[in-house]
Amino acid sequence: MANRTAVQDTQVLLPEQETTIEERLSDILSSYQGREDELVPILQHIQQELGYLPEPAIKQIAKFLRLPEITVFGVATFYAQFKLVPTGRNVIKVCRGTACHVRGGARILKEVEKQLDIKPGESTPDLEYYLETVACFGACALAPVVVLNDRVRGKMTTPKVRGILNITASSKSTDTVTK
Amino acid sequence: MNFKQIQSYAVSEWEAMLNSQKPRILIGMGTCGIAAGAEDVAEALNEKLTQHHIQADIIRVGCIGLCYAEPLIEIIKPGKPSIFYGNLTPELISEIVDDYLVGDNPRPDLALGTRGDGTLDGIPRLFDLPVLKRQVRICLRNCGNIDPENINHYIANSGYEGLARALKMKPQEIIDEVKKSGLRGRGGAGFPTGVKWQFCHDAPGDIKYIVCNADEGDPGAFMDRALIEGDPHAVLEGFLISAYAIGATEGYIYIRAEYPLAIQRLRVALKQMEEYGLLGNDIMGSGFNFHIKVKEGAGAFVCGEETALMASIEGARGMPRSRPPFPAQSGIWGKPTNINNVETWGNVSAILQRGAEWYANHGTEKSKGTKNFSLAGKVNHTGLIEVPMGITLREIVYDIGGGIPENKRFKGVQTGGPSGGFIPASLMDLPVDYESLAQAGSIMGSGGMVVMDEDTCMVDMTRFFLTFTQAESCGKCIPCRWGTKQMLDILEDITNGKGKPWDIELLEELAQSVKDNSLCGLGQTAPNPVLTSIRYFRDEYEEHIKRLHCPAAVCKGLAKAPCSHTCPAGVDVPRYIRFIGNGQFDEALAVIREKIPFPSICGHVCPHPCEAKCRRGQIDEAIAIRVLKRFAAESGNGLWKERAKMAPATDKRVAIVGSGPAGLTAAYYLAKQGHAATVFDALPEPGGMMRYGIPQYRLPREVLAEEIEEIRNTGVDIRTNTRISSMDELFEDGYNAIFLAIGAHQGTKLGIEGEDSPGVMEGVSLLREINMGNEVRLGNRVAVIGGGNAAIDVSRNALRLGAREVTIIYRRTMDEMPASKEEVEEALHERVRIEFLTTPTRMESKDGMVELTCIRMELGALDASGRRRPVPIEGSEFTLDFDTVITAIGQMPEAPEQFGLPLIKGNTFQVDPDTLATTREGVFTGGDAVTGPATVIEAIAAGRKAAISIDKYLGGSGEIDETLVPPEEVEALPEIEEGEKPRILVPTLPLNDRLNNFAEVELCLRKEIAIEEARRCLRCDLEED
Repeated sequence: MANRTAVQDTQVLLPEQETTIEERLSDILSSYQGREDELVPILQHIQQELGYLPEPAIKQIAKFLRLPEITVFGVATFYAQFKLVPTGRNVIKVCRGTACHVRGGARILKEVEKQLDIKPGESTPDLEYYLETVACFGACALAPVVVLNDRVRGKMTTPKVRGILNITASSKSTDTVTK
Repeated sequence: MNFKQIQSYAVSEWEAMLNSQKPRILIGMGTCGIAAGAEDVAEALNEKLTQHHIQADIIRVGCIGLCYAEPLIEIIKPGKPSIFYGNLTPELISEIVDDYLVGDNPRPDLALGTRGDGTLDGIPRLFDLPVLKRQVRICLRNCGNIDPENINHYIANSGYEGLARALKMKPQEIIDEVKKSGLRGRGGAGFPTGVKWQFCHDAPGDIKYIVCNADEGDPGAFMDRALIEGDPHAVLEGFLISAYAIGATEGYIYIRAEYPLAIQRLRVALKQMEEYGLLGNDIMGSGFNFHIKVKEGAGAFVCGEETALMASIEGARGMPRSRPPFPAQSGIWGKPTNINNVETWGNVSAILQRGAEWYANHGTEKSKGTKNFSLAGKVNHTGLIEVPMGITLREIVYDIGGGIPENKRFKGVQTGGPSGGFIPASLMDLPVDYESLAQAGSIMGSGGMVVMDEDTCMVDMTRFFLTFTQAESCGKCIPCRWGTKQMLDILEDITNGKGKPWDIELLEELAQSVKDNSLCGLGQTAPNPVLTSIRYFRDEYEEHIKRLHCPAAVCKGLAKAPCSHTCPAGVDVPRYIRFIGNGQFDEALAVIREKIPFPSICGHVCPHPCEAKCRRGQIDEAIAIRVLKRFAAESGNGLWKERAKMAPATDKRVAIVGSGPAGLTAAYYLAKQGHAATVFDALPEPGGMMRYGIPQYRLPREVLAEEIEEIRNTGVDIRTNTRISSMDELFEDGYNAIFLAIGAHQGTKLGIEGEDSPGVMEGVSLLREINMGNEVRLGNRVAVIGGGNAAIDVSRNALRLGAREVTIIYRRTMDEMPASKEEVEEALHERVRIEFLTTPTRMESKDGMVELTCIRMELGALDASGRRRPVPIEGSEFTLDFDTVITAIGQMPEAPEQFGLPLIKGNTFQVDPDTLATTREGVFTGGDAVTGPATVIEAIAAGRKAAISIDKYLGGSGEIDETLVPPEEVEALPEIEEGEKPRILVPTLPLNDRLNNFAEVELCLRKEIAIEEARRCLRCDLEED
């Protein structure tokens, strides 16, 4: 659940601050030995710190591990966890597991999509929300389940979806959710 | 400290806690407990304890498995048995502290059960409850009992004794012990664990690896998460034992990143092990060195496959490779590697603690021990369970799972996630073991078990799984990469109403090919959902493809609004509800009239299958669709007539035999298509069962007469008192087509001794007598045998005819009763008694009374319909005396053989289900005469279908639909706040005003109430896809 700590830092990641990124990358990489099997943990670490994997990170990791950039890119795009673009501060994950599906998870997802006007894998334009689907949280007994910023919320209904999004929206005083 | 010292330290800490004079409170803090609100409950508990200055030991434990009852707390007061309280809220826990910890009232009303010595009045023993009684806790032995973040708790409960024992054995002796236990891999495939270890043990090499697969990626499975969260050391002990047996010095735990709590508990556990010298160098002074690395999976289902998992550990894309070489010869970095699943290790520690023989006593001959399942989906007791192998699926779903919520019909279970298959209700007596599940086309899998009911669409479920496997296919081999995509495309077409006649066969062929040719387990098993759903639910595929109908009303491409999709006549429910909400009652009635000629009758008596599928019901309660229809029918005026279709006359004549809802509907639409329709009926008044079956207190005669009058207004000629027994004569009279809608007016016999005795009557004939106005004497004590709507009608009629005591005798329970729920409730309200689980075996006339011998029943195995079959309990016979006994167990058509058409089961006509054509040209049939006793709305649907077919047969277009209200502009969807508006209560006549008369019981809604109710509609029909 790398995203939680990541979200506060997303803001500093603007292109003109690339030097900062590279410094921070070196900082992260210095705690590793440079072994090939460290690739996934390094990617996880960087994403945890930066919120996503910026292009310089891919290049720097490749150099560090003496791997072709394409290999690093290939691994980063293979696993669902990794993101190559910045994501919204609040991460809402909708479970698409079997139990959730049987209990109407598809309608829950649709409601979130409608409320935020984004599709899974997208962030709202103000980077307030990021929406993703997850294969299963393993909280099947409470299906359908939604996870908002790592807090699991069970037995969801469409009004409850509106409820949690409104609470977050008002506490963050954003105009993302106006519907 | 050596291990002995550690043990005695841990035991003394544990015992001090057990013997403490302070109350002990265990709070379930698994992911499910926390998600259900356990943190808030814990906070309220703390506040309350502080407020009352109560000192208590509070222990945060893992999941005991009763996830449905979370948040869950166990309270142990010194000297008392412990009590479990479930479904807690901050308010309830405060009450419990006040009443039980401050006072001495254990609040049996809130308690789930007790455990430990002694009992408490009014509270059952927890492990005597059906949900736990059949469970055996081996792997989950400590879950919910110990603090998973305190290694001392584990050690005090025999923890690490298995390791201590193993380290004194030779590696081969350990492997032999595991072989002897019969343990098979719990990851799903069931390979014997000891044999797997042997391969790796025997493989040459100095460096060997061992991997714990905790990448529980199957959607619908959470056993491994719960085990790690609740008792991480049980897994780690097994892991160490195996490492020692194999000769591995380094181990990886590959756990999915979606399980943050499990990862945290694992890390805490590893740290504590190191502190106690149970991890690292020279473990327990044995010279055995072992180190563990935790690898967080980055989200790829295929990494559950062992070769892909190893690639992922090495830092590469998690793609599988072909085997051989097997990991036991060449695994991580080319070294011998052994991979087992979390649950397997949890069993290994128990086996080494208690011995192989003890373990092998559980389970079946080939599948030893127990299996953890995560029970989820449409079942009352969702949660984590551990059951002995060999238990039946029925015991899991009905005894442990507590059956299906809201009494819906059970359809089947899905085991093994996307790699597994569907098992239908009819196979529920299948024992759970590796071989039986494989034979049924599914797999044991890692233990996900999702229960499905009538509201689950099997085609949609299959599409769901293929969406998953298609997305998770790593892309390395073509059969899996393209095969899953192709299967998914076809399934999407079918669920969107674009299925082609050959799709089922094509799917089967594709599935087989993907199964046979894929590189790894993902592709080889991905077709299982397709193959099993076709094997057991082919009819659902056919409904989707041929009739564009999704029986569960799930597939959005077919069922825009589930209510209208479920209505046999296809009435546009959301549209007329919307008009009612807007106060446009004329328009509302016209919308109903677009599909049926009996709006008011349906508004009075329809069993409303639409309401069962209403989406509002998922939030609070379904819309009261039927009574709104009645309101529209009674409040709307003749706007519908303005655009009513009336085609110019053709020269064709149609004879309709039977003036029930099927016959009259067909006549109505045929007349509007321009044909001359003549309806014949043997009885004096038209209406069929609407006139002679349904009681007046449900359907007043005027309502029936008015709507039949509208049928006559289209030119339909209704000839009553005219019995037709030969179709030849009708053809000779010049009719061009015949529609046989003779209904099912003959009661079915019970087939028991004494059924023809005086005082014994048959339900349908009795209803007919009553509705003809003939005098009927029933006496004071009346028994009615049956559980359908006819039995309820007879009972309520009997009360109105002066019977003092009416008893219904039904062989199953309330849950299985086919009669509509609201009718049963009204009957009970009117003080009809129901003897459930009872069936008559004999009747005898004695001194003017009927002596009825009955036998008690119990529910046994499931039948094909998913209902449990009643079985007599031997020696439970008893007798009762009644003035009259009435049988109402079923109906069939009266003398259908006279028409010379082929008959099938239940003495009904054989027809083409799509056209209602019989084997004789120009003759069509439908309604109860085909389906057996059904409902008015089904008969109307049959009448419509017959009208379409007959019109086409006579050269017409078959287009009978009308647009009585032009399409309107519709405003946006409403936002519904949960619980804001419960369903309205329908006004009824007070009890005292009902008996001894036939006045209508249900009253019409007031305008304001109807509008309010209509505005509860979610307007699913306006949703975009």
